[in-house]
Amino acid sequence: MPERRDEDAFVAFAQGARGRLRSTAYLLCGDWDRAADHVQEALIRVYVAWPRLTKAGREYGYARKALVSVVLDHARRRSSTEVVADVDASIGAGYSVDSGYDLAEQVTARAALLAVLADLPPRQRACVVLRYFEDLSVADAARALGCSEGTVKSQTARALDRLRSVFEDSPLGELTVGGGTSW
Amino acid sequence: MVNDVRALLQEAVADPPGDETDLSAVLLGGRQRVRRRRGGGVLGSTVALGVAAATLTLVTSGGADPGRVAEHRVPRPEGPVLRVSDAGTAVEGRDYDLLASYTNRDLESRNGQYFDGVTDDGLILFRDGPHGLRNRVRWALRDPATGVNDWLPDPPAGVDQPRALRLGADRLYFLATPLDGRGPFRLLVLDRATRTWSTLVWPGLPRAEEYDAAFGPDGRIYVGVQAAAASPPPGGWPTGPDGEADDAAAEDDTNDLWSVAPGDLADVRDEKTRVGVFTFTESALVWTTQRDGTREQVHVRDLRTGAEHDFDPRLGARCNVLSFRASGDRIVIGQYCGTYDDGRDDRIQVLTTDGETVTTLQGDSIDGWLADGSGDGHLVQVRAWRPDQEGDLVYDLDTDRLLRVSDSVSSWSMGGPVPAGSLLVDRAYGEDGGSSASMIPDKGAVQWLIRWRS
Repeated sequence: MPERRDEDAFVAFAQGARGRLRSTAYLLCGDWDRAADHVQEALIRVYVAWPRLTKAGREYGYARKALVSVVLDHARRRSSTEVVADVDASIGAGYSVDSGYDLAEQVTARAALLAVLADLPPRQRACVVLRYFEDLSVADAARALGCSEGTVKSQTARALDRLRSVFEDSPLGELTVGGGTSW
Repeated sequence: MVNDVRALLQEAVADPPGDETDLSAVLLGGRQRVRRRRGGGVLGSTVALGVAAATLTLVTSGGADPGRVAEHRVPRPEGPVLRVSDAGTAVEGRDYDLLASYTNRDLESRNGQYFDGVTDDGLILFRDGPHGLRNRVRWALRDPATGVNDWLPDPPAGVDQPRALRLGADRLYFLATPLDGRGPFRLLVLDRATRTWSTLVWPGLPRAEEYDAAFGPDGRIYVGVQAAAASPPPGGWPTGPDGEADDAAAEDDTNDLWSVAPGDLADVRDEKTRVGVFTFTESALVWTTQRDGTREQVHVRDLRTGAEHDFDPRLGARCNVLSFRASGDRIVIGQYCGTYDDGRDDRIQVLTTDGETVTTLQGDSIDGWLADGSGDGHLVQVRAWRPDQEGDLVYDLDTDRLLRVSDSVSSWSMGGPVPAGSLLVDRAYGEDGGSSASMIPDKGAVQWLIRWRS
């Protein structure tokens, strides 16, 4: 177990990081309550690894990777019979990928994006969140996901294919990824 | 109206509900887990076998401090080693012929059209889309000599991100990924003679969240059905020199291998083999039981006689298998082997089906895979991402030569199956001439279809 002073440092880190981690978790899983559970599990993993993390610095990078792992593990383990609301009902209200053009014009681009994100396979969704919310480079996203840079590129490209195709030709307008990176 | 993904994501979390994360529960859970880990090392072997095995992986790979990567410099693999800097320059007309090229100037805002593979009889599978709310995709067969497209009938509705599995002279097969990551294994098939689509589902095949599939040399389709999902070791991964968690050598998912007959939906066979990754030569099934290198064996089964043998490929101690294909008596394994003070340890190992390493292409930020054919190819495509080495290279299994084909790589992911001796090469297309590492993004891509001269 870490010494007391390590626990103080860990608590300070956790208090500072949990908000950002929770937002990331929400974008990865689409549910604020489940996001809180995922953050709690990720922080437990960080606690266990804490002594060596503080030697190396970059504790947040470890926490983020632990969080991604927790979310992906959860997605894999979901029973096929479990009914899971992948996105807050309020967010997707009025929007459905399947219903297509029955979209009401008042549907916001944000809701549309979240609804399509919810339908992406978990790793594609994680690529989008890590690249465009966490603003990670391809190399850092690959480390966070434990895969090659090429896999991140291909998974991100597939995800953006999907996102763009929904926005294209719809009242929502064009979807861009701006910000100085190619995707 | 223009919508920016970054801005939309930020807006989505701008007004979160109250945070009820219980840090005292985190501390309690963390303390309990630390106690369990410490106890695991001294408990009897019957009680804590699983935990001990996972911890052993870290100890053997990490040295005295199980949580810290011990080595600081990229280690040299066993046997001959080739590097990107060893490559000669491929010359059009001498080493390869350019059969066709296509430039998509704006993949960023519109998917548009691009090469999606090449059929066994040499026609380009030319893809348009996906487009629109329905995610519509259509394909043409394009004559590389004339550029004329023969547009095919629209595929069945409700298909999400289909991926070419085999592009035969008689039929085209596509994997149809379930949109939500669940559902039965499903193939879309186009009969080229009748120009009709059909959807194949084998009711006897177990359902899973993920599938892997490949045609065997016997004409059956072999399907890896996810059997076990990997988990991180207790306490998480060790830390790399950059402070990031490094899961080199971590366990990955495993699959149970089944096979089905394309022409008989009742013909489903349990191959009774647990695989990490699998592939085929023209006569053999080749597989590993796991994807990590620490305890890995490569297994070879002659499909005509049933005879099996296995060997230790002598992967590095921290290598994860990222690509795995075989041809003739060669096996090509792409690996990520960890990050060190002097960069990533990426490898493409070429070895014989008897286990002898022919060579290892090693570099920082390279990917590689056997790119052509169906068990009869000979071209290993190596993609170098580091800005000072960027480009596509080809290692020819027949001649053992490594040649550079291009000096840029596209950030976009395109392409699909190609017959033996052919390659699809993607170059960046952008305002500054194109570089995936440049500050100006490569908005589009230039694709080449080349035929290799051997």
